[in-house]
Amino acid sequence: MKNYTVEVVIQNKPVARDPEGETIHRDLLLKGGYENVKSVRAGKYIQLEVQAEGPEDAEKLVFEMCNALRLYNPVVHTSRIQVREK
Amino acid sequence: MSTLSPPIKTHLTREEAEEIRKRLGREPNPVEWGMFDIMYSEHCSYKSSRPMLSLLPSRSPRVVVGPGYDSGIVDIGDGYVVAFKVESHNHPSAIEPYNGAATGVGGIVRDVLCVGARPIALLDSLRFGNPRSGRTQWLFKHVVRGIGDYGNCIGVPTVAGEVEFDSSFETNCLVNVACVGLAKREDIILAEFKEPGDILVLVGGPTGRDGIHGVTFASKTIGQQSEEDRPAVQIGDPFTKKLLIEAVLEALKTGQVRGLKDLGGGGLTCAASEMSFKGGRGVELNLDRVHVREEGMTPYELVLSESQERMLFAVNPQGLSQVLRVFEKYGLSYSIVGKVTEGGNVSVFFQGEKVAEVPSEILAQAPVIRREAKEPSLPADGQNYPTPKEPENLNEVFLSLLALPNIASQEWVFQQYDHEVGVRSVVKPGEGDAAVLRLLEIPKAIALKADCNSRHAYLDPFYGHAGALAEAARNVVCVGAEPVAYADCCNFGNPEKPEIFWQFKRGIEGLAYMGRGLGIPCVGGNVSFYNEDSETGVAVKPSTVVVMLGLIEDLQWITTLALKNPGDCVLVVGETRPEMGGSEYYCEIHRINQGRPPAAEAAREKASLQTVLKAIRAGYVSAAHDCSKGGLAVALALMAVQGKLGLKIELEHVPCRGVTRKDELLFSETYSRFILAVNEENVDVVLKLASREGAPARKVGRVVDDAVFLLQASGTPVIQVDLAEIEERWREAIPRIMEGKN
Repeated sequence: MKNYTVEVVIQNKPVARDPEGETIHRDLLLKGGYENVKSVRAGKYIQLEVQAEGPEDAEKLVFEMCNALRLYNPVVHTSRIQVREK
Repeated sequence: MSTLSPPIKTHLTREEAEEIRKRLGREPNPVEWGMFDIMYSEHCSYKSSRPMLSLLPSRSPRVVVGPGYDSGIVDIGDGYVVAFKVESHNHPSAIEPYNGAATGVGGIVRDVLCVGARPIALLDSLRFGNPRSGRTQWLFKHVVRGIGDYGNCIGVPTVAGEVEFDSSFETNCLVNVACVGLAKREDIILAEFKEPGDILVLVGGPTGRDGIHGVTFASKTIGQQSEEDRPAVQIGDPFTKKLLIEAVLEALKTGQVRGLKDLGGGGLTCAASEMSFKGGRGVELNLDRVHVREEGMTPYELVLSESQERMLFAVNPQGLSQVLRVFEKYGLSYSIVGKVTEGGNVSVFFQGEKVAEVPSEILAQAPVIRREAKEPSLPADGQNYPTPKEPENLNEVFLSLLALPNIASQEWVFQQYDHEVGVRSVVKPGEGDAAVLRLLEIPKAIALKADCNSRHAYLDPFYGHAGALAEAARNVVCVGAEPVAYADCCNFGNPEKPEIFWQFKRGIEGLAYMGRGLGIPCVGGNVSFYNEDSETGVAVKPSTVVVMLGLIEDLQWITTLALKNPGDCVLVVGETRPEMGGSEYYCEIHRINQGRPPAAEAAREKASLQTVLKAIRAGYVSAAHDCSKGGLAVALALMAVQGKLGLKIELEHVPCRGVTRKDELLFSETYSRFILAVNEENVDVVLKLASREGAPARKVGRVVDDAVFLLQASGTPVIQVDLAEIEERWREAIPRIMEGKN
């Protein structure tokens, strides 16, 4: 078993709106003069330290866990999982 | 050719499609089919429920606007009106609880806003399955958080509500949210097109492909596919909503807005055709002008999109620039999408071509469907179950009842809400039977409460619904308010099933009966059908939530439920009967889901209500509480816990009829009952008042300065518990369940 750092990024689906990102963009960045910022999407970041046989196992474990315990809702969210060996 | 189904996929029946062709005199094009599809959905058209809803008495001298508009509007004197409405968001909440509940709040806030009222309070009425199941916990947590976050962000307090748990809500939770607004009577505006030439301005969030056919989604039952039914769930945007609230109210102040409606289910199609139909004018829409979020949207998508946070204004052309300046000041996007015309057609243009033209009366007036109603062979059959043996240890039963999810403190829910923002809340959640809000503009207060008892309604929809209306009335009376109007939110299964439609029919008849008997008008409602699991065919128990508005003209009348003075006498108004069906005691302790629920009788109810209201307003009452779930014993216990004072009660003095057992006396949920704490010198005058009104009433005991809760029968203790234990059982139950402790 090896130790892996698994990162999960949860965002609203691309077709769905993201009021938080839009508000950061419109009311903070554009008003602050950062006109080169063309869009902002906010989300949730979860970092886990996981023991697994290999990187695929680590990813599978975290993916299943996120689904089973509803860390995100596939109806509105996407999740991206990235695995790094420690 | 004309007998064929429409060329695009719709939910219209063959008869409806035929009727559309006949009334229109031609074959609609695909865009028009889409518009009919959405307008003829149950959600927009009320095609099954309209004939029944017209039975509800809806007039009184105070009613300014009754059912059929975005909000009911009630005159409270001094030039002010209260606007309120309740709506369900069941289907979206069952698949995405956070955003489903949040957008439910967003929708109902717009309903109140668009009659020109400032939203001042929210109420929520929630129903879930077994609180120990993983799915219910997930739904419950996220629904509560969705409502709380949204309400807090827009600065409107959630002041009252109720939560009920029953296995029939396991798949289909019920999320009903009410909003209450305040306006000057002269500032009210209606969703009507009145003047040809008025300019239509679409304000708020950009239009995207989200929620297309959300309404037809809400008119289907929930099945496995719903998890994939992605576009039908919206993302709430309270940040834009807060701006929208301020901008709308400021825009109305210009006096240049002549019609206003929010875009909810049915999107632009529904708003434009209803405003056209109600105002008797036509409308011309130019879809190229609509500000969009996505490229390449088709006319079909633009007229049907249900993107959130949008409002449609009809503005006097002379004042247009003045109104637009307000939207610009708040940084809200808007587009000028058309104008009001003569005639009565909804005409839609896109890229220079007319893509739809339909008389609004055909769109807004879907043919009524006369549904068949058939009494189900329910387990309601009164006597066909073995009467349970009376438990020996009623003390233990009593403590178990206090910890039941339907009786225990709901603090876990309302502590997540900001119930004080706006500094109007005088009686806060848990302190009284209803929430009380002081009106800062005039020296009056209003009382609000939402009630429903689905277990009673399941066993007898007529009595159960009449009882919900009566309970809501009792609750506002307990805080010193006169019940002046109510709004209802009906939640049922599939109305195409005769047994379900029977529940609905009997339920509405029950509401009509009690509304007439108590003289309380219905000023608006919402009907949600198809709340059933398509896999198992299990429908939710019939649940019509009654949201009651009470008026308090003198702030000194405001009363809470906590006992206040040791030595005060305890009076029971209304008699107890052995009506155990649907009681928490039968359902949860004995697992009996049968029997007759309490009978709701308007005359008996009125006698009790009048007694208590008059006694409170004469200043005789120091604490008041009605008896509901858990019966007399639980009601007494909550008054003691809230007041941190003990009680000594002689059960043989409790007014009753036909009661032969102690468990019946303690736990029956008979309606029309109140408990009052009254100073000794006023006891006789209150009892005389009761006898004049025709309500049985008696002194049953005293408030004591000692932490003991003692109910005894002829000198023998029946229930004897320390107050601290009552409090712990009652307060800790829901947090413990949510932490998975038992």
